[in-house]
Amino acid sequence: MATTTATITLSSIDLLSNELALTTTSTLTTAGTATGVTQASGLSRKTTGSFTPDSAAGIQANVLYRAGDYLADGANKVYIKNTSTTVAEFYTVVIDQEVIGRLYAGDWMFMPWIATSGTKQVFTVTFASTWAAGETWTFDGITMTCPSATLAAIALEVDKLNYPNWTTTHVVGEATVIFKARYASDATEVVYATADATIVSANPGTAAITSAAVGSASESDITIRPSVHTDMTYETMLIHQ
Amino acid sequence: MATTTASLTITSNDLVGDALSLASSTQLNKAGTTIGLDQTTGMARVYLTATTQLDIFPVLPATPAGQNLQSWVYICNKSLDETEFITVSIGATTIGLLYAGDFMWMPWSQIAAKADIEIAPSTGAAAAGIHVDYTCMHQGITYPTSGD
Repeated sequence: MATTTATITLSSIDLLSNELALTTTSTLTTAGTATGVTQASGLSRKTTGSFTPDSAAGIQANVLYRAGDYLADGANKVYIKNTSTTVAEFYTVVIDQEVIGRLYAGDWMFMPWIATSGTKQVFTVTFASTWAAGETWTFDGITMTCPSATLAAIALEVDKLNYPNWTTTHVVGEATVIFKARYASDATEVVYATADATIVSANPGTAAITSAAVGSASESDITIRPSVHTDMTYETMLIHQ
Repeated sequence: MATTTASLTITSNDLVGDALSLASSTQLNKAGTTIGLDQTTGMARVYLTATTQLDIFPVLPATPAGQNLQSWVYICNKSLDETEFITVSIGATTIGLLYAGDFMWMPWSQIAAKADIEIAPSTGAAAAGIHVDYTCMHQGITYPTSGD
């Protein structure tokens, strides 16, 4: 196990009539134990602002951490710093849809993170009827080309591909593929998935979508929104279970 | 104006392949200025014996004095029992869990009527009793009008 310590110092000689000199040190452990946390995202740095192609249409929020990627209810800790030196520039930090606060130039924050995810949408595609080698099925921007007329081989080929927004599972020999969304989202995605698949088959083959289960949105993704279009830079690190 | 400094260090020799030695320091200023914050609730310590969720600062009204100004919140779980935690929330959204000895430091925009800072002890913590420290350094807080 790793040993990681975080120390905060708050100091002022003139905020109050009594000097403020608070120091607290915490050893970062996994939830409910004395075992040190062993995972971290690493300290990262990103510049937001003028490079964004669509910045003219509005300032874009940046997703820092998606809850579905981390252990819920863990003793996770998030560090964020606005490294801007322009006094008036700030990042607005949001968890789910709740505004936490603003980080102005040079400000940092360190907070726990519960990482409560939603549920991921799931559906099953079943290949049936008559397909021919060379025919295609397109979904999520990815096109599968039938290696043969065998339905199980087609399903296997679908499973081999990498989809930007979905993961797949497949049992060898079956004509079905189960798709699972990479991220939790709300129910409207089912309609999108059904409409998005495109079949190009002259025979015609079918690829029915069944067993669709709607998802629900994450409850604690962390996003930040810069206050200006011009370049601003933030640093962040997640220490997690 | 006052000069108040908040500093953080995070260190580890074995969390990642390279030694971690992060240090950040900032002066607590009013929103968008270099003028220091000059108000604080003072450091409070409470002893909680129930799992009831509590607002630790005055409930935000429809037009909070500090909305979108700068405020900072510090909360520390003073328990020594590693299994005892408090749940920290903002409005209806849970932020995270503070286990024994854990602290947090975050900005707070005091968004009207929905961004109250709340804590709730875990069942074990409430049964044993738990101390929690907290403070807010701010640019304005609306205190409730007396009903007397």
